[in-house]
Amino acid sequence: MEPVGVGLRAQHYEDFLARRRDVGWLEVHSENYFGAGGYDLHVLRRLRADYPVSVHGVGLALGSATPETGRHAARLKQLVERIDPVLVSEHLCWGRLHGRHFNDLLPLPYTEEALEWVTARVSQLQELLGRQVLIENVSSYLEFRASAIPEGEFIAELARRSGCGVLLDVNNLYVNQLNHGASAVAAMDAIAPGSVAEIHLAGHLLAPHCAVDTHGDRVAEPVWALYRAALERFGTVPTLIEWDTDIPPLEVLLEEAHRARAMQEEACSV
Amino acid sequence: MSELAALQQTFGAAIASVDEAAGSTPLFRSPPEAALARLAVYRGNVVGACTKALAGTYPIVAKIVGESFFEGLAREYLRRFPSASGDLNEFGASLAQFVSNFPHTQDLPYLPDVARMEWLVHRAYYAADTAEGSGLRLAPACALLASSWPLARIWEVHQDDYEGEFSVDLEAGPERILIYRPRFRVLVGAISEGGYRFLERLGAGAAPEDALEAALVAEPGFDLGAGLAAWAKAGVIVDTTEAV
Repeated sequence: MEPVGVGLRAQHYEDFLARRRDVGWLEVHSENYFGAGGYDLHVLRRLRADYPVSVHGVGLALGSATPETGRHAARLKQLVERIDPVLVSEHLCWGRLHGRHFNDLLPLPYTEEALEWVTARVSQLQELLGRQVLIENVSSYLEFRASAIPEGEFIAELARRSGCGVLLDVNNLYVNQLNHGASAVAAMDAIAPGSVAEIHLAGHLLAPHCAVDTHGDRVAEPVWALYRAALERFGTVPTLIEWDTDIPPLEVLLEEAHRARAMQEEACSV
Repeated sequence: MSELAALQQTFGAAIASVDEAAGSTPLFRSPPEAALARLAVYRGNVVGACTKALAGTYPIVAKIVGESFFEGLAREYLRRFPSASGDLNEFGASLAQFVSNFPHTQDLPYLPDVARMEWLVHRAYYAADTAEGSGLRLAPACALLASSWPLARIWEVHQDDYEGEFSVDLEAGPERILIYRPRFRVLVGAISEGGYRFLERLGAGAAPEDALEAALVAEPGFDLGAGLAAWAKAGVIVDTTEAV
């Protein structure tokens, strides 16, 4: 797999359809392609012929304690069968409460109970899809008193028990360091080098009460510095530039992708 | 209840309603005041994502009521009809029902039908590209709606590329519309009573001859030949026997 990709958003469909762009792969939010047909799926199928594609879910809410119907996972399975993505990923979070969905990536308490629960859900998903999935660490604005396991250890243990890969979001680690004081480097040090299969880079917003993971800006300098540390620890892992709000022209994403690529080459040559 | 379920219950209630927030602060490491401020960030994210999804599905309703009013309407809708799916494209199915009872939009009596139309347009956008089964079929990305209001005209003047005069005669009388998707863009057009009956019956699985009978009852002068030619060209109907 090529080293650096960008998130594919509808605003950039025409740019990608017009000509081959200098980017290794594309990642989409799975739920945007759950339809039976229509333009989005048509574009994704077209681009899949030219680029490796990874599907990144935001709606399974795997850590939710209330029962699920299995419908969302079945729709994901259908998309995976249609697109044959190179990677499938979801988040280490919860979001569903009885019949309601918050459509947000809500943090889990890092307890043994939550670890067992989410390990079972991830294993179930991998069994359904017949493949490994990657699980991403999320940003959070609140920490639970109940949490007894450091974040890095929790996700490392989830990967060890379920066999899932880790999608390491370096920006999320940095946002959590700002919000809770927990060291991002310590979190990375807890994760086994071979288990990280993808890295996410995105921008955040320094809001009055906390740092917010908006995916609406360029990658911040301290996050680039953490990315360098991640490359040293995990090697040249496929890296994605994510941008979801106030989406700029594609060229801006490609600039960020080129910077990530240059850092990968630099890390390799050391 | 497990500890995990109890924590999510309390945390979720605090996000859903500001009234529940104070009782949840013992869950968090932050001091209560800071925890409340950060809970508000989550609450804002949830409302923001749902409002954005609703505005994307209902652009005409949003234009009619205006952006800031729509935000308030979306917030109230979310409170009454929370999202039930991890796929936000499924959020908003009950907006027509909601606005027909919403006290602040009672001066816009056509708004519920505009919302009905936009939900069908939204569904058509994501519908399958081809029909299943054999014989003469209604394409999956088609829908029909009968209304007391001139919906096709309301749709037309609110399109981004519409350059004509912005006027709608609300007294134009009842209208039937056909929602269809020739390729990937969904279109809305007025349709005669006979055409409406024919396609409605066909969509329900009726044989073409039975659909024609229903159409002729509704509109004795209904011209099936002209209808079929136009609908085949616009992808409204597909004859799956020809494809074999």
